[in-house]
Amino acid sequence: MNQEQPQTCQAEESSAGASELSDRDLVTEVLRKDRKATAEFVARYSDHVYAYVRRRLIPRADLAEDLVQEIFLAAWENLDKFRGDSPLRSWLLGIARHKVEDHYRKRLRELQFQDEDETMRDEPASFGNLEEALAKRQAGQKTQEILKTLPETYSVILLWRYWEKRSLRDIAVQIGRTEKGVERLLARARQQFKKRWYERQSPARR
Amino acid sequence: MSDNLQHDDRLFELLGRQPDEAEPEPERAPSRLKARLYTSLVQQQQESGRLRTLAETRANGHGLCVFEDLWERISSTEAAQSFNCCSVCHARVLAEHLERAPIYWGNCPYVAFGKK
Repeated sequence: MNQEQPQTCQAEESSAGASELSDRDLVTEVLRKDRKATAEFVARYSDHVYAYVRRRLIPRADLAEDLVQEIFLAAWENLDKFRGDSPLRSWLLGIARHKVEDHYRKRLRELQFQDEDETMRDEPASFGNLEEALAKRQAGQKTQEILKTLPETYSVILLWRYWEKRSLRDIAVQIGRTEKGVERLLARARQQFKKRWYERQSPARR
Repeated sequence: MSDNLQHDDRLFELLGRQPDEAEPEPERAPSRLKARLYTSLVQQQQESGRLRTLAETRANGHGLCVFEDLWERISSTEAAQSFNCCSVCHARVLAEHLERAPIYWGNCPYVAFGKK
């Protein structure tokens, strides 16, 4: 159902070995409407889906629970299409990704943002220690903290473009804006993110 | 795109590729949410026909809670056996509204959702 799986599930193995039922058997049991298997389905995968959705909905993590519920109901409606070619977790996260993108589309259509070109002022001289943090794979937590503080349009466009890896053209088409307009919004979002990253560096590192 | 903008673009691409697992501890779904997910899934299942009977569920190796166990013993028809006992159980109500609800029945899914 999804060409590119979310990052969290790439190269992962099926969780079948960890529990009694394999993914395929669990799906068969859920489709037979076995209530206990349905409970196991929720227990086994809701943490993964919830964590993924929460990270992607920053700063509107308060909407995560409703979206997770939508995802599980969509999963139930399409469960007979699960063939077991990929782990069930990846399949669920594929649905989650679609739902998250629906959310981005809706929010960027609702939220107002300027298309005009703006002069970028007060740009910090450097991006500080980001490259170092990236090399050490330590950027995750700080990134999440900064995304939480950004205006929603900025966090949505950054997450959609860089975390969900959508092209500017795709985003522009989906929200009914010009590619140039989206590019400008993205540039402003990056600038704000950089500014906050820079401000959060310890004084000794500046 | 200027060199600076291209450089930023590349850095953000790298940032987006940082594995989510790099977070110190991924957040767990609240047990209230798990309870609501389970309830809504079973409701959806019922909309397209009967649930698997309690006898079949037991035969399939799943334990029943004390309420389901009693219900299985006293109900004779398949329709009664397919009844969703959770729909009238206080444990469901508690679990949907309280994090770590004070319910301790064995084989109750709502109890399991509260466990770490």
